[in-house]
Amino acid sequence: MTQGDAHPIDYDALVKPDAVHGACYIRPDIFAEELKRIYGRGWVFIGHQSEIPDAGDYVRKWIGLQPVLFARDKAGKYNVLFNRCMHRGASICQNERGNVGGFRCEYHGWFYRLDGALQAMPYPDAYGSDFDKTQYNLRKPARVDEYRGFVFASLSAKGIALTEHISGPARQQLDYACDLSPDGELIVRSGATKLAYNGNWKLQMENSIDGYHPNFTHQSYIGTFERTTGMKFDMFNGDSSVQSRDLGMGATNIDSRRYSLENPHARARLQSLQKSSWGKKYYDDLVKAHGKERAEEVLIINGTHMNVFPNLVVLAQQVRTIQPVSTERTEVYLRPSLLKGVPDEVNMHRLRAYESFYTTAGGGIHDDVEMFNRVHEGLRCNEDPWLIFRRGLHREQVDNDGTIFGQGTDETAQRAMWRHWKSVMQQELEG
Amino acid sequence: MSGLREKVENFLYREARLMDENRFIEWFELFADPCLYWVPANEEDYDPNTHVSLFYGDRRIVNNHVLRLQEGKAFAQEPRSRMRRVVSNIEIEDGGEEVSVHANFIINEIRKHEQRYHTGRAHYKLVPEQDEFRIRYKKAVLVSLDEAQDNMTFLI
Repeated sequence: MTQGDAHPIDYDALVKPDAVHGACYIRPDIFAEELKRIYGRGWVFIGHQSEIPDAGDYVRKWIGLQPVLFARDKAGKYNVLFNRCMHRGASICQNERGNVGGFRCEYHGWFYRLDGALQAMPYPDAYGSDFDKTQYNLRKPARVDEYRGFVFASLSAKGIALTEHISGPARQQLDYACDLSPDGELIVRSGATKLAYNGNWKLQMENSIDGYHPNFTHQSYIGTFERTTGMKFDMFNGDSSVQSRDLGMGATNIDSRRYSLENPHARARLQSLQKSSWGKKYYDDLVKAHGKERAEEVLIINGTHMNVFPNLVVLAQQVRTIQPVSTERTEVYLRPSLLKGVPDEVNMHRLRAYESFYTTAGGGIHDDVEMFNRVHEGLRCNEDPWLIFRRGLHREQVDNDGTIFGQGTDETAQRAMWRHWKSVMQQELEG
Repeated sequence: MSGLREKVENFLYREARLMDENRFIEWFELFADPCLYWVPANEEDYDPNTHVSLFYGDRRIVNNHVLRLQEGKAFAQEPRSRMRRVVSNIEIEDGGEEVSVHANFIINEIRKHEQRYHTGRAHYKLVPEQDEFRIRYKKAVLVSLDEAQDNMTFLI
């Protein structure tokens, strides 16, 4: 609640333990508050450092609705810079990605270095001798930090450290994704496929860790998979040993560790992988790098399937960034994650697997998009405006690491996301 | 040459009609064995083994795609898109065993009361078979290849 608001938003009345009011998706004043509190203060995912490997590389990104540049400077450091000339406010970079020597504002020619420092402006004499150029460097977020190449920014100088925002159990999940590489590094520079839908950004967050929907929303994909391979796809059945997990701080996970470790098909992958020479090399290199036990564990578990609040999804062969536009519109950027230090064939198979499901012309994700559009339409009905997140509430358990989990089709993860959302929206703003 | 142009045009118009009418199996029969079907993402040209595509597949992958669309449970196509394509600006290079064809396309799509246009240029490598052709290679380069898309659950 903000002091002085004529009509403070009562979040306790909107987010209950087992239900969320439709207003949380469609009310513009709540969206504006989200930009201020979630995107305007907390840690927000910017990009993966491998997107900009060389000096001069840049990619345009956003923090909430604010455009920023993610750029590598000549010292090899990455920078997050607001895409706004300090002179008269024009955006200084127009392309989505590229390589430049620096950023020149084309309005009046002010030139900034890749680290944001104002280097020069035309006819500088007119600014007088007391003009201090260092006051006009491009603005940067108050804090920037990374975990295993995933770079985050916070616009608030105060607040928890990134290692608190991404809890130990959440970092452990990111490790599963990274440790598939013998070098322990993902490479996220194989382009992006981009989708858009009519509806709130949180619909994609809820869906990314939703183990209840695949057997229904993705019937056509799963049906074709079963008929063409002769295999049964039982991962998202109501009795599978997959778990829906609250990793803390709004981070969530479809946890398939137990399912995979118990599943003979997942274990059989270790053998089938080693049938090809490239697969054998990959297996051997991974064992050499991580030891046999860890190497086999990460191969069987095969990455992760998780959200980091509010806008990062790491799952299968991809890194997904959720970009709010308005209550009516969201864009999602999906980028394949390849593995550093593996035979080319491994990464080629990752690309093909990604394309089979995750592109808008592929096999799966547009069925999710269709459901987001349908929810957004349904939210216009005011008669009983609640969305029910009750599934499995009565059977949640606390694990040894303190995380809460339920069965894979339970809505434990969505409840976790909404609990965290409410706590952030209710925080007092200092000053 | 005019005979070849007429044959190529007829072939492309037929392909467009099959795609317009969601006749997936008949569309797939236009492809040769082996074949390659490619819809690039972000850029017009690159190594598809190191950069993602909207679609990149051999015969098996295209077949799976067709089977899935055929299944009737692809909800992004419920209801189906109504579509009509216009194929134009056709340029032909007769390579003897293989005919290289470039053609612009405009797809007019209406789904759920929303009208959208998808435009681009396709490159075909056609191999003669009986009295017409089979598609050895099709690369459809969308104008919107770097834009966020809502739904492209149809043939391009």
